[in-house]
Amino acid sequence: MTTQAKIVEELEFPYCENASEKYEKLTKIGQGTFGEVFKARDRKTKRIVAMKKVLMENEKEGFPITALREIRILQLLSHENVVKLIEICRSRAGAYNRFKSTFYLIFEFCEHDLAGLLSNVNVKFTLADIKRVMQQLLNGLYFIHHNKILHRDMKAANVLITKNGILKLADFGLARAYGGMTQKGAQKYTNRVVTLWYRPPELLLGERVYGPAIDVWGAGCIMAEMWTRSPIMQGNTEQHQITLISHLCGSLTPDVWPGVEKLDLYDKLEVPKGQKRLVKERLKPYVRDQFALDLLDKMLYVDPSKRIDCDTSLNHDFFWEDPAPSDLSVMLSRHNQSMFEYLAPPRRRGHIPQQQQARPPTDQHFERVF
Amino acid sequence: MDTNAVKVHFRVIRFIQEAGLKLRLTSLPIATAAVIYHKFFRENKITDFDPYLVGTTALYMAGKIEEEVVKLRDVVNICHRTLHKNKPPLDIGETFWSLRESVASSELLILRSLRFKVVFSQPHKFVLHYLKFLKDWFDPHDWDTIPISKTSWAFLRDCYHGDMCLNYKAEHIAIGVIYFALLSHGMEVPYHNEADMKWWQENPNQPPKMVLSDDLTLPTVQNIISDLMTLYEMEILVQS
Repeated sequence: MTTQAKIVEELEFPYCENASEKYEKLTKIGQGTFGEVFKARDRKTKRIVAMKKVLMENEKEGFPITALREIRILQLLSHENVVKLIEICRSRAGAYNRFKSTFYLIFEFCEHDLAGLLSNVNVKFTLADIKRVMQQLLNGLYFIHHNKILHRDMKAANVLITKNGILKLADFGLARAYGGMTQKGAQKYTNRVVTLWYRPPELLLGERVYGPAIDVWGAGCIMAEMWTRSPIMQGNTEQHQITLISHLCGSLTPDVWPGVEKLDLYDKLEVPKGQKRLVKERLKPYVRDQFALDLLDKMLYVDPSKRIDCDTSLNHDFFWEDPAPSDLSVMLSRHNQSMFEYLAPPRRRGHIPQQQQARPPTDQHFERVF
Repeated sequence: MDTNAVKVHFRVIRFIQEAGLKLRLTSLPIATAAVIYHKFFRENKITDFDPYLVGTTALYMAGKIEEEVVKLRDVVNICHRTLHKNKPPLDIGETFWSLRESVASSELLILRSLRFKVVFSQPHKFVLHYLKFLKDWFDPHDWDTIPISKTSWAFLRDCYHGDMCLNYKAEHIAIGVIYFALLSHGMEVPYHNEADMKWWQENPNQPPKMVLSDDLTLPTVQNIISDLMTLYEMEILVQS
């Protein structure tokens, strides 16, 4: 070893603790936007945490801006329904990693994620449970939108639930501040965000000036999933996703969505014509509650300017009619096994699309809405 | 802090501001770069690190933090050019790549020394709101002819030449620079002598509690102004 290398390895630099000295990795529990996630235990306090690795491979522009955004956003947001960032740790730099430390974000640990819970047939959500899940989800979303932040990766796997029934929005790896202005007008963002199945029509059609409505669409997809138990629109490509949306929400025409024809990809993608809006009809076999259907319908409006916002959603009758939202800890106390999507058997990923009418459900877990 | 270090910091901040403007960054990221720089040297010795490298890195990081991302390549080229005005522009070669590598490494070093705390409260939005609030009290003609807001913004920009930004709350600095601007132009807020409260104080009994400070005292305002004046004296020393 050269003297220089030895100096680097032995250098003690304060402020940032050594991850493996402080925490003991237990199991891998997920794959985040920019790295792996582990369950770990604090060697001293025995506290269980989640460790998310910051991938730095081939990073030509220094510390990844996505990681920096996630850190900054989580420092800015402190809310019961937003996952809490405890600290940032690093690995030891040495010859084996070309003297570059790996960084880890340390989060409070949550026992379950919603995708994991939904894929387990033994987990049963009552209407009151679903209300509590959605109420907390919209509360968290309202808070982050109020702070001018877009999540941009709403999906069931990014919704964590503790064993005490507290819901936490997680994975802010794609999140960013919105509403910024540049000298050229409203700031434009990339539209290549949000997992395809939860991606709203405006992003699929190439909109680059978007807002909180994109997260509400995802929340709507998650809400429907509470009954269908699997993602409602599982497209394989952007084109396929647009087709699925049109079949559920009706054709994307300037009549229902003024200005849609001006979006960049409107002419480039094949946008189905003559489809009727069937949100309520198709979801009725699963969702028997009238208020739930009405809220779902409003969250899945194709025109983002008419889509309901979080505040209005929280005031919707769905949350205020009987049965009242329940305490989730009662239902969760029946399950002492952690449930994460990563650990669960795959939920019909890459399923070959078929356009069929929704079948009335025959048992607790269904294929898809159509 | 010894005078020598103060002078170095003064020069580096001027370098940060000049390079920042050339990179077309707005005032907020440039101010954030200055805060990062001062924070770093509050905890580290100036003899241990090259202040211009820290300044360059701070500028690069501030772009990321304030969502005005600049390419590392451009930061290296422009900072090199700003620092070596008589040398030819940097060629792509060993020097360029090692400078780039240095900035990338010191980014991690600075992040660690900031303990990854990358949320900064800056006086800018306060200055904007306070000026808007004050404008309504003034005679429109006076407000248009006397550059109170221009002077306030200039004081704010200049205050980063020292480490004032670490010693006062953002909203206090905002009031300090406006107060000083009013003093410099010999202006008074109309009717302020008849008012029960000073214009920069907040009446806790009266909503809205949105603007102006409820915990600012006159001595703090005076300290801010005196710190600013010390900086302007420093300018002469630095140039000589």
